[in-house]
Amino acid sequence: MTVANDISLPDRVQSANKTSTFPAKSVLLGFLTSAIVVFCVFPFLLVLAISFGRKVDGAAWVWDFTLENYQRFFVGVLWPQEVTFLYLQQLYYSFYFAVIASLLAVVTALPFTLALTRLSRRAQAIWLVFILSSLSLSEVFIVMGWDILLSNNSGLPKLFKETGLTAWLKEVGWFQTLRDWGLANPRNVKFKTSDFATILTMSYLVWPYAVILLYPALSRLDPSLGEAARTMGASRWTVTRTVTLPSIRLPLMGTTLLLFVFLLGTYVSITVFAAPNKHTTAVAIYANIRGANLNAPFGATQAIILLISASVCLYLGHLLNRRAEGR
Amino acid sequence: MNVHWNQYEWTRTALCLSESWELKGLNMSNLTRRALLKSGVAGVAATTLATPLIAQARSVKIGSYGGYFENSFKEYVYPEFTKATGIAVESITQPNSSDWLVTLRQAVAAGNIPADISLFARDTMIKATRIGDLIAPLDLTKIKGAGNLDSYFVFEGKDGPQGVGAMSWFSAMVFNPNEVETPASWADFWDSSRFEASLGLGRNYNAGLLDFTAATFFDGAETMMSDDGIVAIIEKVAELKPNVALWWTAESQMEQSMKNGDVVAGQYYLDVANLMALDGFPIKPTFPKEGNLQDYGSWCLTAGSDKADEAAEFMNFSSEPSIQALMSRKIGTAPLVDKSMTDLTDDEFNFVSGTPAIKPAYEAYLDNETFIKESWDKMLAEA
Repeated sequence: MTVANDISLPDRVQSANKTSTFPAKSVLLGFLTSAIVVFCVFPFLLVLAISFGRKVDGAAWVWDFTLENYQRFFVGVLWPQEVTFLYLQQLYYSFYFAVIASLLAVVTALPFTLALTRLSRRAQAIWLVFILSSLSLSEVFIVMGWDILLSNNSGLPKLFKETGLTAWLKEVGWFQTLRDWGLANPRNVKFKTSDFATILTMSYLVWPYAVILLYPALSRLDPSLGEAARTMGASRWTVTRTVTLPSIRLPLMGTTLLLFVFLLGTYVSITVFAAPNKHTTAVAIYANIRGANLNAPFGATQAIILLISASVCLYLGHLLNRRAEGR
Repeated sequence: MNVHWNQYEWTRTALCLSESWELKGLNMSNLTRRALLKSGVAGVAATTLATPLIAQARSVKIGSYGGYFENSFKEYVYPEFTKATGIAVESITQPNSSDWLVTLRQAVAAGNIPADISLFARDTMIKATRIGDLIAPLDLTKIKGAGNLDSYFVFEGKDGPQGVGAMSWFSAMVFNPNEVETPASWADFWDSSRFEASLGLGRNYNAGLLDFTAATFFDGAETMMSDDGIVAIIEKVAELKPNVALWWTAESQMEQSMKNGDVVAGQYYLDVANLMALDGFPIKPTFPKEGNLQDYGSWCLTAGSDKADEAAEFMNFSSEPSIQALMSRKIGTAPLVDKSMTDLTDDEFNFVSGTPAIKPAYEAYLDNETFIKESWDKMLAEA
């Protein structure tokens, strides 16, 4: 404050004029560039650098330049005596869950959003605000909610038991099949841990995003196109297949890819609902960096490989789009 | 001012709740969840004593795991220490053991001393001494009380004594008394006719199942010293998989699953299991014939701290049987001194401790951690 008082008024006006004459555009550009460098490029380079570090058993890790972590990702730490594809399997399950859950979310959100665009303006606004506000729920809360809904004493299994469905399943002998599939214990059905619960929660997690991303494109859809096709004798399904879907192909692809990339890093749903033999790279990264064994270099390696795999997927999606455009 | 302080505490507790889902490991990081459980039992968490505002001639900064645990220290232990010695305590919040090691390492490298005394689990303490220049050697002539502890709890690092035991905790066998008979041995868990898809066990390689299995079917920690031994133990654990319904990482997962009936037996913390049972939930801890896993925390002096004398006085104080008993009563930790030295009743003692105690195979976990972790993860992933 004292400094500000010391500056005489004309000086301050002059300096203000100076900044305004300075090209504001390049200042903004410089600021944005430095923000990107500081917040994106630098942390990424740091992770890249750490991925070449070396773990010291029984202690922490040290800076180094070794490719052992990358080798370990593909063949395991004991290579060449022994080979394991553990980390590739984890990467596979990252994709497995993300692909299925994002597809499921988009496929279910599409008819909903289509129906939404045909409501009155007021109803649309209410729905959109409701869906937007549900985005404020964190993954932890959503998983907690589903955890309770699928619990033995307070959720779906309780419903099975109370309605006599469990007893009926036992009678007809299907209960044994459920036990073989890991969806029941001797007492009742169980949904944790299962692919069903994992995919359900992950789709639920991104479903509002799917609606919000699809809404702009669907609301711009010209209803007269479909109506014209109908008057020419096309069935409802033919209209959907040949008119509606092709005209929203791009937003549909974009939404699916975005949700897919978002779901690649899912952590809480997987740790809670997925069986340990289907745990993903994201879970493994966390276990290495924050867990008791302090192996940040290997965690960083897994992160880099996950990033590269995601980028490859996005690029392939882009290529596919371009080919479809060209046709 | 007081109101503000309480609000702050509550906000932090709420944050801990969401965080506790993500925290995991053998360390006591999960205490945050237990904190809520316990404060629920004890009613509203009592007011925390703020650090005295008036600067005192002598002071020391002591770290402990944030949440109920740290609050109990601030409320029951530190005031007693200040009364006895005139040394003021500034309490420092540690997230847990292993994350604090990362923080401490960065701080010391930057020339800071975030706490004069840190609380470390044994494996993290050994890691810290191996990393070097983090933990200073102690002058045991000034810590006479350490003589009360079993020599195992005074850690000899490469530069001399580097840690004095603070308190210990058990990871115990628990079961739902409404659903199953009391298991007599850990081996009972392998019996699919009793426990098919019904157990809740720790997911991390160092959460205790390896130690239980080694103690039940092999020669304990001895077997863990060789790669072949580890492979044999892990193969034995693999046979258990059809009986496991939940491989938990966050303590809250196991708590919820026992309450909800998703699992009917497994491993869990002894003191929390007792608290849950007091609250009427269907859970009962038991000591099977092989015993339960006992881990412990140590007070360690940060290298470069100029409060070595004050730290020594605190370690001396915390080693006294009366203070060990105070911690057992107020915080739920097991004492590190013989029960006969304390005035704990049998009930009070059994609430926090028992026999036999299995000691984690620390050396194997440290020297061979990459191999054990990958073999364990492979077994779980069926890769």
